[in-house]
Amino acid sequence: MNLFDIIFYFFAFITLASAGIVVFSRNIIYAAFSLLFTFFGVAGIYVLLNADFIAVAQLLIYVGGILVLLLFGVMLTNKVVSVDIKTGTLQTLPASLLAAMTAGSICGVFYATDWKIVQSVPDVSTTTHRLGEMFLTTYLLPFEVASLILLVALIGAAMIARRGKTIF
Amino acid sequence: MMLEQILNSVKLLYPETTLAVTFCLLILTDLISRKRSNGTALIAPLGLFITAYFVVQQISTGANSIFSNMLAVDSFSIYFKFVILVSAIIVVIFSMQFAELTRGKRSVAEYYALLIALTLGLFLMVGSTNLLMMYLSLELSSISSYILAGYTKEADDSSEASLKYIIYGAVSSGMMLYGISILYGLTGAVDIYGINNALMLTEVNAVTLMIAGILIVVGFGYKISAVPFHFWTPDVYEGAPITITAFLSVASKAAGFAMMIRFFKVAFMNPAVGNLAFGSWATFRGFDWNLILAVLSVLTMTIGNLVAVWQNNLKRLLAYSSIAHAGYMLMGIVVLSNEGIAAILIYFVVYLFMNLGAFYIVMIVANKTGSEDINAYKGLGYRAPLLGVAMTIFLLSLTGIPPTAGFVGKLYIFAALINAKWFWLAIVGVLNSVVSLYYYVRILRNMFLRDPDSSVQPFQISVSQIIIVLMLVVPTILLGLYFGPLVEYAQASVTMFGIH
Repeated sequence: MNLFDIIFYFFAFITLASAGIVVFSRNIIYAAFSLLFTFFGVAGIYVLLNADFIAVAQLLIYVGGILVLLLFGVMLTNKVVSVDIKTGTLQTLPASLLAAMTAGSICGVFYATDWKIVQSVPDVSTTTHRLGEMFLTTYLLPFEVASLILLVALIGAAMIARRGKTIF
Repeated sequence: MMLEQILNSVKLLYPETTLAVTFCLLILTDLISRKRSNGTALIAPLGLFITAYFVVQQISTGANSIFSNMLAVDSFSIYFKFVILVSAIIVVIFSMQFAELTRGKRSVAEYYALLIALTLGLFLMVGSTNLLMMYLSLELSSISSYILAGYTKEADDSSEASLKYIIYGAVSSGMMLYGISILYGLTGAVDIYGINNALMLTEVNAVTLMIAGILIVVGFGYKISAVPFHFWTPDVYEGAPITITAFLSVASKAAGFAMMIRFFKVAFMNPAVGNLAFGSWATFRGFDWNLILAVLSVLTMTIGNLVAVWQNNLKRLLAYSSIAHAGYMLMGIVVLSNEGIAAILIYFVVYLFMNLGAFYIVMIVANKTGSEDINAYKGLGYRAPLLGVAMTIFLLSLTGIPPTAGFVGKLYIFAALINAKWFWLAIVGVLNSVVSLYYYVRILRNMFLRDPDSSVQPFQISVSQIIIVLMLVVPTILLGLYFGPLVEYAQASVTMFGIH
């Protein structure tokens, strides 16, 4: 086990453990806070994989932006809405059996699979430059379509937020 | 070099560009003009007609791949673009008469803008040849439809529909994405030609490939509402504004089918084994896709039809019937031949007219009576004879009784099955049609054999409504009697870019 592996398992553990808290915690604020560590762990794995731009984007957008908004939302609505937001579990036994079986078979299959491994890693010292170039050449169309998706989502969010019985 | 390629690609992207421009124009004019008029909405049909013009122009360009193999412009995608466009234009016309939409003095420009965005997403879906592009176009169309399903926000069931749609959509698109990542790990490619190449050259683990394929099928199955990914369909179809329900049941399904067919045919078929020139394909080793799809189609049509029998809400009934129709069409993929694909193409044109027609009449009745319940149809045949007769034609066509167009659609599907020696599947299909006859006839019985309650008056329909009904009835009958050109065009449209 070299240093790379140790760091990988460290971040993977942080991600998985905090994701577990997000799912199993009955308190929604705890869940929202542990999501912070999940995002952070994923960002760490990105760094480890030389994807520096994505790692920074992950930190800025998810940890810095979305999560803060999410926490605000949770804390503000927690007292306003009289309904208790609770996470309950139903059908625990069959669900966990099914999940365990799926996870086990997927893990088993994945260990036996010969994954396609890139032999020669290209120079990755400047990913931002290359990403920018790719966005405007090979991946131009998906890049533009992604912006349209965001515009549609924006309009939709505004429309739902404006929700009320009287619309003027 | 790259720039030249992009500039050439842009020329073949005019229909999509027009839709994008129309979408932005609708939002901008709504922002600028403060008047709450339907005037801005007229931009939508205008944009659709200009798009139609550009699509017609593409017919002569042959098969092309644009934007570094992101999108294919070929006769297959053009055929589906026509299906989507025609249903979009019809749905826009429906929407202009839809009472629930303009209630509450809401601005409708956003509605039309999102409808255009949805159309754009579907356009991109039918041409995508890259998994990344497939996923993005699927998301564009899904997000637009989530919002549209919840558009009439006064209605509780509309919000419920939207929420259910989002939850199911998020789960299935997440599973699809996971499948895509596994497929990428196996083949190292995201464009479907590259995947096909990698599968041909190297021996990959069959079980892993199967898992990846099934996960990706979850995404497609959700879009075409195949059982067991159909749970959202009845609630969304019931809760969404009826115009959106009609659009989702035809155009969204068409795009899902187009994407699924292209994905299977290009990525998973072994060009060395099957004889693609003669239209029969073969899958890669260890890949019983046709059996999996056959089981899926049997489940889809049987559950769709059996549950439809119990429905009293017409929107819900038509939702289950549309699930069943997805099952019939899935049979066309099972045979893995061009004949089956051509049958699906024929079926979609037929399905477009009869299904939109049935939804239109449900909408007229709902506008008048405010109810979609089957009891609202009591004596409709006497209160509004034209509507009654038209509805009868649509329902008979949905069942597949000659001389309506629905018969032709089913005929070609069953012919493809029998030619490929899938006898048991053909028998299941026919038995299912018999079941479907039961619930369609229930509506007919209510319209003609039950006397209306004494309190209801005969209801008037306007001239424009008569024209629209006739516009949908005439093709439904005409295509049942004279279907030669449609069949020829469909058979010529099965060619895809990159498959010879």
